[in-house]
Amino acid sequence: MTFSRDGRDLHALRGVDLRIAAGEIVGLVGESGSGKTVLGLSMLGLLPKSARVEGVVTVDGVDITRASEPMRRKLRRSALGAVFQDPMTSLDPTMRIGRQVHEVAGSTAEVLRLLAAVGIPGGQRRLRDFPHELSGGLRQRVMLAIALAGKPKLVIADEPTTALDVTVQAQVLTLFRRMRDEHGCAILLVTHDLAVASTVADRICVLYGGLVAEVGQVRPVLDHPGHPYTAALMTSRIRLQADRRHQLPVIAGEPVQPSTDPAGCNFAPRCPAATPLCVEKRPLLTVVPAQGGLAACHYHAGEDVARGLSRVAGLWGPSVPTAGDGGVTVRRLSVRFPGRRGLRRSEPFDALREVDLDVNRGESIAVVGESGSGKTTLLRVIAGLQAPTSGSVVLGGAGRMPQMVFQDAGSSFTPWLTVGQHLYERVAHLPMATQGERVSEVLNRLGLPAEVARARVQQLSGGQRQRAALARAVIEPPDLLLCDEPISALDASLAATVLNLLGRLRRELGFGMIFVSHDLAAARLVADRIIVMTGGRIVEEGPPDNVVDHPSNPYTQALLASVPQVSTCR
Amino acid sequence: MARFLLVRAFGAVGVLLALVTVVFLLQTAVPGDPVRASVGVNASDEVVEAERERLGLDEPLPVQYATYLGQVVRGGFGESLRTGRDVRDDIGAFLPATLELAGFSMLLAVVGGLLIGVLAVVSSRFATPARLLFVGGASVPSFLLALIFIYIFYFKLSWLPLSGRTSVADAPEAPTGLLLLDSLLHARPDVFLDALRHLILPGLALALVPAVAIGRVLRSSLIEVYRSDYIRTLHAKGLPPRSVLFRHALRNALSAPLTMAGLQLGLLLGGVVIVEAIFAWPGIGLYLNQSIAFSDLRAIAGVTLVVGAGYVIVNTLVDLAQAAADPRIRL
Repeated sequence: MTFSRDGRDLHALRGVDLRIAAGEIVGLVGESGSGKTVLGLSMLGLLPKSARVEGVVTVDGVDITRASEPMRRKLRRSALGAVFQDPMTSLDPTMRIGRQVHEVAGSTAEVLRLLAAVGIPGGQRRLRDFPHELSGGLRQRVMLAIALAGKPKLVIADEPTTALDVTVQAQVLTLFRRMRDEHGCAILLVTHDLAVASTVADRICVLYGGLVAEVGQVRPVLDHPGHPYTAALMTSRIRLQADRRHQLPVIAGEPVQPSTDPAGCNFAPRCPAATPLCVEKRPLLTVVPAQGGLAACHYHAGEDVARGLSRVAGLWGPSVPTAGDGGVTVRRLSVRFPGRRGLRRSEPFDALREVDLDVNRGESIAVVGESGSGKTTLLRVIAGLQAPTSGSVVLGGAGRMPQMVFQDAGSSFTPWLTVGQHLYERVAHLPMATQGERVSEVLNRLGLPAEVARARVQQLSGGQRQRAALARAVIEPPDLLLCDEPISALDASLAATVLNLLGRLRRELGFGMIFVSHDLAAARLVADRIIVMTGGRIVEEGPPDNVVDHPSNPYTQALLASVPQVSTCR
Repeated sequence: MARFLLVRAFGAVGVLLALVTVVFLLQTAVPGDPVRASVGVNASDEVVEAERERLGLDEPLPVQYATYLGQVVRGGFGESLRTGRDVRDDIGAFLPATLELAGFSMLLAVVGGLLIGVLAVVSSRFATPARLLFVGGASVPSFLLALIFIYIFYFKLSWLPLSGRTSVADAPEAPTGLLLLDSLLHARPDVFLDALRHLILPGLALALVPAVAIGRVLRSSLIEVYRSDYIRTLHAKGLPPRSVLFRHALRNALSAPLTMAGLQLGLLLGGVVIVEAIFAWPGIGLYLNQSIAFSDLRAIAGVTLVVGAGYVIVNTLVDLAQAAADPRIRL
């Protein structure tokens, strides 16, 4: 599958073979840009017109990439179902959900049966709800009901739980499994999260740079990965049991550019076990003796690479929070969003209720909670982006404003300015000569090549974007770095890289950090102290290991129970 | 909903009060003496003063203002200097013709706008003409269009009549005053068709610019909607393109074009005044034109109020339509 953009060919998929058997759940895992979404869309016959396709995608005996449009529609209606990432935007906001399901279900009785099957309580009453009247989890269930209408043979679910809270994610994943058991439909679960795939899938297919790196039964593949990339995903994943004293083992380097077409292995430039053969000759999928799956590696070097990575992962130096100047003191902080009148009316909403928080100089705090818990509002008030309704925030230190890093680093840059211009903006008050030094110093510190300064953010890879955002934040070291879900959209190896980077930067530069996340495992690794929030209040606070090993609050326990884990024999 | 309408009604009263005040104050700044003009240049000073006294124009300004407001509240607009009748009755006589023309043009504008916008998105053949239309149509004033239309369709092609509402002498004038409606009520298809032929040129002249504006906004918001996730869901459901467009995309794309429609239809009410003069259309626009020549301030104020009220009503209807299109908007 090749796209043309600005006269250049972008290779989204480079010759993928994949077979999904009836009633099978296949987890399709890869980082952004690996081609996993394109592969899912190609099975639905929903590729943009500019895509050039070689090979075939046979659905129910028909090649959907070359079928006529009416034929494709018939296949989508009868043989296929789809669930997409964002339940907030994937349903028509102006149509009642009953009708949206009815469009494909055909009868009200069938609509009610489907809604009941996907666990939407209330039956008849719900039919007249609009999407905006439902929670994210319920909307995703409606999507699933639509996907299941017409008894499809295959449901393609593209990151179906990424936009959901962890507790809801667990429920929806269970639902997928049940749907397969009850309806017998095959499911292609596209995800960047190995743990999500491993909890529901029968088989797993790892994509890297538009090629299948490894495919096989979940358990054997994860226990004995044949491909170094699979191994890297396994070792660098952020686990609740990871050793907090060590840095996370990661594979350095950037994913293969879609505009290039290397002769050898896509992964060779990043692979610690790469040999000249790897650069010259593209490896084919061959059976991995240890587990019976297929891996595209000349040496099936997965397990060696995993051992090597774990060995070289460095120890962290001490984190030294000190009381006094440079911290933050939050007292009885409340934020109420008033309801809106007139068009688009809404009820008032208490985002924060009398929150007290002290962050010492150089201390790293993780604020964990689900959407609506108030964690992001707390961050915004401390950053000065949101005025408190009552209470106070006192920033210590030399009055340097805290800096922020966001989940979507790409959209936090002005699209027409270069990364360099963003960096110079932050040091504009310094003498000209020093500015250049500071820029090259910070790029170096973050492991970014000097060319990045001349690039616009959309030319960077996902990992580079998040590092560029960090560079902008720390070019003038702040007293406090505020991170809003900085890793939740990244795949395991990139997420681990960013966590390592945050840990290193704060030790080198001595700033404090507030790390907002829904992920307790990541929180445990970056924080000196974890705070759990729900409903605008802090419900639990303590050292990471205490919170994770002995949670006292039922809400924390529920969060912990919902964290998807890769269950392996090791 | 009731609350929304109540708030709107209060707002309307405020707008109209401001209009009355501005128009009323303007008469103090008007050069010349309308009263002398109305009784004749040769009339004696006594006659002029008597007329002035009869009309209450000799009172101090605040008293005149209060008297006028009192009249308006009771539903009258004062006596016209030109016709000698209450302005309310004059407007009552001229308004149906304007309502018919404005209503017809608005219908043309909205239907035309929808058509242009949808065609520009779904038909590749129409894409280029649509672009030309968007550039050209946005920059032509309605009076110029009127003159061009007259030149082509009346002088050159003789397809359509030049002026007036009808050329049938015994056209029915009751009960509504709307010719299209009255002719149907009296079972006179000849009058209906004749009235329609008379409506086309002024209607097109008024409707083209708003139609193009609405179409352009609809096009861009439809394109936006087509990029959204839920449209992808609909394709994945296997819906045919027609259902995707008419059942889903169009309704979601309506918000911006409706806002544009409110703005344009308000402007259209202003354009009526000029277009009526060009086509000798016997509506309040023509009445206003003649009244301006006489400095007939009561008449001018009356028409201004009626047009102002029309503006408020059109925009309220647009807001209601917006709420009907988007369930997330609750009035």
